[in-house]
Amino acid sequence: MNVKRMSRIALSLAAALTVGQAFAATRGGQMTFGRYADSLFLDPVLNDANLDIWILTNLYDTLLQPTADGKGVQPGLASAYSLSKDGKTVSLTLRSGIKFADGSPITAADVKWSLDRARNPDNGAWVGLVGSIASVAASGNKVTVTLKKPDPSIIPALATFNTGIMPQKLFNAAPGKNDAEKAKAFAEKPIGSGPFVLSEWKRGSYMVLKRNPYYWKMGDDKKALPYLDTLRFEIIPDDNTRILKLQAGELQGAEFIPLSRVAELKKDPKINMVLFPSTKVNDIIMNNRPKLKDGSANPLSDVRVRQALNYAVNRDALIQLVTFGTGKPMKSFMSSGTPLFDPAQKGFNYDPEKAKALLKAAGYANGIEVTSMATSGSADDQALLTALQQMWGAVGIKLKIEQLDAATKTARYRANDFQMRTGAWTDDIADPSEITGYYAVNGDTEAAHTGFTDPAIEKLFIQSQQETDKTKRAAQYRQIQTLYAAASPTIFLFETPYAVALLNNVKGFNQIPLGNNIFEATWLAK
Amino acid sequence: MHTSYVLRRLLQIIPLFLAVMVLVFTLVHLIPGDPVSTLLGDRATPDIVARANKELGLDKPLLVQFGLFVNQLLHGNLGESINLKIPVLRLIGERLPVTLFLTVYAAVLGVLMAVPLAVLAAVRRNTWVDALIRAVFQVGLSLPVFYVALQLLTLLGARLGWFPIGGYGENFGEHLFHLFLPALTLGLNLAAILVRTLRNSIIEVLTAEYVDFARAKGLRSRVIMTRHVLRNALIATVTLLGLNIGALIGGAVITETVFAIPGVGRLMVDAIFGRDYPVIQGLTLMFALIVSLVFLATDLIHARLDPRAELS
Repeated sequence: MNVKRMSRIALSLAAALTVGQAFAATRGGQMTFGRYADSLFLDPVLNDANLDIWILTNLYDTLLQPTADGKGVQPGLASAYSLSKDGKTVSLTLRSGIKFADGSPITAADVKWSLDRARNPDNGAWVGLVGSIASVAASGNKVTVTLKKPDPSIIPALATFNTGIMPQKLFNAAPGKNDAEKAKAFAEKPIGSGPFVLSEWKRGSYMVLKRNPYYWKMGDDKKALPYLDTLRFEIIPDDNTRILKLQAGELQGAEFIPLSRVAELKKDPKINMVLFPSTKVNDIIMNNRPKLKDGSANPLSDVRVRQALNYAVNRDALIQLVTFGTGKPMKSFMSSGTPLFDPAQKGFNYDPEKAKALLKAAGYANGIEVTSMATSGSADDQALLTALQQMWGAVGIKLKIEQLDAATKTARYRANDFQMRTGAWTDDIADPSEITGYYAVNGDTEAAHTGFTDPAIEKLFIQSQQETDKTKRAAQYRQIQTLYAAASPTIFLFETPYAVALLNNVKGFNQIPLGNNIFEATWLAK
Repeated sequence: MHTSYVLRRLLQIIPLFLAVMVLVFTLVHLIPGDPVSTLLGDRATPDIVARANKELGLDKPLLVQFGLFVNQLLHGNLGESINLKIPVLRLIGERLPVTLFLTVYAAVLGVLMAVPLAVLAAVRRNTWVDALIRAVFQVGLSLPVFYVALQLLTLLGARLGWFPIGGYGENFGEHLFHLFLPALTLGLNLAAILVRTLRNSIIEVLTAEYVDFARAKGLRSRVIMTRHVLRNALIATVTLLGLNIGALIGGAVITETVFAIPGVGRLMVDAIFGRDYPVIQGLTLMFALIVSLVFLATDLIHARLDPRAELS
């Protein structure tokens, strides 16, 4: 274990400890938090972006909740839950006396209506997470979720934002002719049962959340959470300005601190620079098809070339150059924070000689030329690809960089019109099926648009989607990760943390590996 | 005054407006990338993208979409933002006052800096004072706006703590306070442009015969300067100022991002990155309208200052 890893563990321990403070927290006050961009649409089911998701959990509560490490599940609005032996029925018991932020009671009918809305195929991008639900029944304080087939990801799905419980009556009372219009109206003044409730929203400028006086969860002082009276989000898109505002004391916290500024902020005695463990992975996605969109032959269709590219990457050097030492090399396509990540995976060590040999074996002894799309204006992409240019150049691979704005880049890879591109991913659910379905399986998104397919992985994935035996499922995922690494459809590089800078008096804030900002137990020391 | 002229000029805005409408609609649909897959990102399946496109009417032929867009416009509706799901008119209504406040503030600061310094430079022409004023503004002109913005923020905001770092505030007094640094940033840039023109015009006027005549009459030099010289020298400057208001609104894009100001500049940047077609279209039409009106106002003021200018 090296020093860097030890310090990372110490940091995550510190972060975990601040969540579970044993001593009394101070109640009241306002915390102002700097965000890099504003939320777009605050509907748990119909939203589209992380900007919404990471805030939604403060407004809406789910039946279950992800644990602080993002890997497990704990009770939420449901105080108890159980999965039947055949893995096809989830029985949940609602807490008694739970209320929405307007004081109206949360009924089993609200729960049924919310889950039915979340699984309605007409409703947005997240339907797949609850696609296995066949029906939801509610009576008294009991909710029964019946599945079409056993689904091991159903429990974490009930702890994911899109199954947030909404008040059916208030939603229906919102102005609008149909559900879509009502959703728009309701999302402007949402009422949920999360720790906070939206009180003011000036788009592009700020959002004010007030404590929900009816929140069910208790603090260390045996009184209802949250500790803060008000939570104010200020939208400050420029990284430098966000940091300056924090240093001037106008903010108590700021997210998305560029990794290049982490070391400097760590030295600032007024600031607590925290690197929260995340599920964020950074990679190079390759087009694996024999021919590119323009009809030219694609050397990346040869697994030996893809492996050569992987061996020719010095991940430790990249971590220093691009993440300023804050990253961690990847050994699998999924992050080490994803449940069922296999720590025994070897990944790729830096071996330029092996890379050269593989290229030679593939018939490219004289080298190849490849092109990667980068997001223009992204300092990280620039640093990453320039470093790769050097590393790959040493083994005879010439890398051309094509700078494109994000929308053009997305359009190009969705049309399979690319050879390589920079990519990143964060999990939304505490289960490996989401990232695996996207990266490794040739489904709707053709394995991250690589065109890669492996019959063995496809078969294992289908099995794992119904496997309720934890050990067997872990073995399936171990095998998927091994097969994936050998086939190397992508170049997995490094994991990066969430860099959040807080003033020293801020206690109990947590950003879980799924990205959710948890303010329910945050307080300001006097 | 010249009602028919103003009416005619206003009518001329209509064809311009139509041309901008066709152009912006074509352009936003020609650039690669679409709002739905940009918004939904990696996880969206082709099926979900297709459904969202259908819901938004983006699957219809371009000509049909254009027809719908024109129809909406005729009903005074700019459509609804795809990303934010609220009407574009409301968005503009919320954001435009902020940018206009900043623009006017910057113009006022720019003029307040430029006029006295230009007068000073002209009166002391070819001395070290003149050279210094011109050199400082020359440097100011060549510095990028975002750099000046950050320097001002660091020095006057963070280090000295005199001004808030970014934001807009809630009432007029707070707006003035919060927007001082960004307005100063834009104002400095504007002043740099104005000083040189104004200085040269003043020098030109100072050597005119009527100024000699005024001096001969024994008028005090301050009176000569304000009543005769400045009034005449300002003619060219007003035109230049008018022309630069457009640029000022454009410059607000960067300033608004650095200073975290919720104006239309930032809205436009976000809309372009998100390919939010209705917002881009609505904002472009609004910019075209504002610039046309500012040009008209400039011409009218020009005519007021210079009776020789014919409004025809």
